Amino acid sequence: MNFLKKMALPMFVFLVFAFLYLPIIVLIVFSCNKIAFPYRWAGFSLEWYRELLESTEIWHAVKNSLIVALSAVFLSLTMGLTFIFYTARTKYEKVIPFFYGNLVFPEIILAVSLLALFTFFAIPTGLLALIAAHTVLAFGFVVPILAARFQELDYSIIEASLDLGASLNQTFIRIVIPLLLPALVAAGLLVFVISFDDFLLAFFCAGTSAQTLPLYIFALIRTGISPVINALSTLLLVVSSVGVLIFCSLKSKIRIF
Amino acid sequence: MKSIRLENIKKSYNGDVILENLNLTIPAGQFFALLGPSGCGKTTVLRLIGGFEEVNEGDIFLGEENITHLPSNKRHINTVFQNYALFPHLNVFDNVAYSQKIKGLSREVIAQKVNKVLKTVHLEHHKNKFINQLSGGQKQRVALARAIINEPDVLLLDEPLTALDLKLREKVLIELIDLQSKLQTTFVYVTHDQFEALTVADQMAIMNQDGQIEQIGTPKEIYEFPVSIFVAKFVGTTNILKGIFHNGSTPQIELPGLGFFQLAVPENKELVEGKSIYISLRPEKIWISIPETPGFSNHLTGVVESIVYQGRSTQYNVRLKNDHLLSIFEQNEEHFPRQVIDYGSTVNVYWQKENAVLLEK
Amino acid sequence: MNNSSFFKAVPALLWQFLFFYIPLLFVVVLSFTDGTTSGFTLKNYALLFDSVYGSIVLRSLILAFLTATLCLLIGYPLAYFIALKKRSLKNVFLFFIILPFWTNLLVLTYAWFFILDRDGLLNSLLMNIGVINEPLALINNFFAIMIVMFYCYLPFMIMPLFSVLEKFDLNLIEASKDLGANQWQTLWNVIIPITMPGIKAGFLLVFVPAFGEFVIPLLVGGDKYMFVGTLISHYFLIGQNKFAGSAFTVLSSCVLFVVVFFVSIFVQKLFPSHREIRETEL
Repeated sequence: MNFLKKMALPMFVFLVFAFLYLPIIVLIVFSCNKIAFPYRWAGFSLEWYRELLESTEIWHAVKNSLIVALSAVFLSLTMGLTFIFYTARTKYEKVIPFFYGNLVFPEIILAVSLLALFTFFAIPTGLLALIAAHTVLAFGFVVPILAARFQELDYSIIEASLDLGASLNQTFIRIVIPLLLPALVAAGLLVFVISFDDFLLAFFCAGTSAQTLPLYIFALIRTGISPVINALSTLLLVVSSVGVLIFCSLKSKIRIF
Repeated sequence: MKSIRLENIKKSYNGDVILENLNLTIPAGQFFALLGPSGCGKTTVLRLIGGFEEVNEGDIFLGEENITHLPSNKRHINTVFQNYALFPHLNVFDNVAYSQKIKGLSREVIAQKVNKVLKTVHLEHHKNKFINQLSGGQKQRVALARAIINEPDVLLLDEPLTALDLKLREKVLIELIDLQSKLQTTFVYVTHDQFEALTVADQMAIMNQDGQIEQIGTPKEIYEFPVSIFVAKFVGTTNILKGIFHNGSTPQIELPGLGFFQLAVPENKELVEGKSIYISLRPEKIWISIPETPGFSNHLTGVVESIVYQGRSTQYNVRLKNDHLLSIFEQNEEHFPRQVIDYGSTVNVYWQKENAVLLEK
Repeated sequence: MNNSSFFKAVPALLWQFLFFYIPLLFVVVLSFTDGTTSGFTLKNYALLFDSVYGSIVLRSLILAFLTATLCLLIGYPLAYFIALKKRSLKNVFLFFIILPFWTNLLVLTYAWFFILDRDGLLNSLLMNIGVINEPLALINNFFAIMIVMFYCYLPFMIMPLFSVLEKFDLNLIEASKDLGANQWQTLWNVIIPITMPGIKAGFLLVFVPAFGEFVIPLLVGGDKYMFVGTLISHYFLIGQNKFAGSAFTVLSSCVLFVVVFFVSIFVQKLFPSHREIRETEL
């Protein structure tokens, strides 16, 4: 009886993990299946991967997603970091909560408001609009994370730098950025993933001209099941794993959540 | 080396007034200690001098230059922070070289200066280590080196020994004294530990809980001739006895329940008959003995209530007839003392009238 | 700190205003106007007093609530289990929890589609074994939506929970047992109250986005049900009626905030955090 009690929680956890990874394993397994229909194993084959890699549309979408994601990371990190450095612990620090609202609203509300604004002012939808949108979304993550990490910094180090003759800018570059680097990288990774995977904002703001990867996947799904999607998913999974590895190793150095 | 002058400084924080009407002159080239209990505002004074806080009112002068509104990175003053504030992402060499790099000096000049300074603090063999590889004492020396390489006019030290253990503390104190006399820079040393202050200071100031300076003087002046009960109690231990002044053929103090005792009154002091006064009597200036001893101006008897062995000295707490507990230090001069004072012994207690300090507040 | 360098912080603020606050304000303004030049009007809101809209909002609230509750019930023991493990093992578990989170939502939804479809994996398997004769309708219904919602939102619940559970002082559990409480009493009286901030955060982190969820119902719900998210997107993309759409958006946001507000107060009364207790006692 005691044994059952002790094993109850671990068994539960095992079941949850099994549930969590069931779809993922299914995806991977059937990405190498020889045939598309019906759903039984017909043998190992990589032809879906070949079909995937030969499609030019995919790489176009990937390129767009990368452009948007990297831009969002760059913009949100630079603006966010400068913002935090020049407002935290000064009389302007009350402005910081201005950025906490980004996570409070369901994303769809942000998406439609941006769309409404863009159409009204005849701003063309497309990659640039999407970058603007993703950067705003990114602020909701970057600003709280950096604010918390900056608050944890030993402020006397900044005072010491000033004491030794450095200007505020020099202190920012020589001291604050190196010390905040783990948080910056982790936040950057988080933003990258959120932007790269984002469907909602892309659906509304990217318009017909620019297709990002999630939009491509969506279109593909709408046409029906295809193992090519499985293959793409598996590849994305591998890439994500690398990202998560880096993120986890950084998490031990800083507190994000 | 320059002097520091604070004029009519007022500083408040969120409505609480920490410093008001503060006036202080720190003479150039000296090791100056600012001593006070925790929370009295002494660190605030240091931070105002360093430029990390702004005054609400008043002026700060470095030499003859008014630096009140100068930002900290433009003041020719450097600080050794309480927790050292060393840059964790730089090694020892780069930490010390930081200020010189900011100035834009050439690599060769920087290397020369850094190596020289590291030698002064005996860290030349650690220059490539990172901060987390250093001991507490070593970190402290890095903080020191980093601050003095700039050859500042004034060096501020904010309770630099708090994180060190006792043996190390004594050693570092001596090193600091040597350093100061070698550099001839004005050192401003803030601490709540009176032993540290007494050891290092050429001149010191005592600050009370309300942020006011009660006395300024050399350590000896402050210890031997405190001007208030607060100073007498804060610096060292003392016995404070309250009584009434009587101006007879010789000035005397009447201690209630004990009688009349000889009093030494300083020359310029005018006291009214019947005034309430205090005397501060340091425990080491009281002679304790079982048999009677002649030659002392003042004499009391009492019963030994507790004995604390302190190595160099023994502390006796003697209960007097008026129920007051008197603390007495006797130096343990002999291995085998000729008289053994024990719990419950009735003892004679003597002091010379010149060794008691008259206090009015 | 130097006050004149505040201008360096301005770009971020400007961006935030331009692309977050102004659009939202714009929607609010839109909701009070019409396509015509008549200016301020409440016409759009009047349209919303149809019970259809009420049922849509209610449905979304229920979905969000069920999702958050399910995530909490399952996520809490999970987070508890992981947080109490040793460092290296903890990181391994964390890796495997975060990985689905970093996988594309669409991809995961598609995977479930793959499994639950009429001709999908589960049905094929069950029919092959002979357990059932006809494929189960596992897709394009509320059941499918719930599963996928739960699946996608679980990491959002786990992360704040994990964060508070990680910092939890284990001595408190020992103290509780020492004083005679059993496992369940300890859980209810000690662990849950102290980790309440994490529970609140996780619940909100799931509830709020789930309320506006639009992709998952679209893909696996089969367009059978209208949720707040689907309706909003309908208005703005298909129906091209951004005025009514704005009104609906504003209204459902208000409903969301009111619900969240009252639920927080309710929970606060039920489980006051120890910080709050101290304040009231003073």
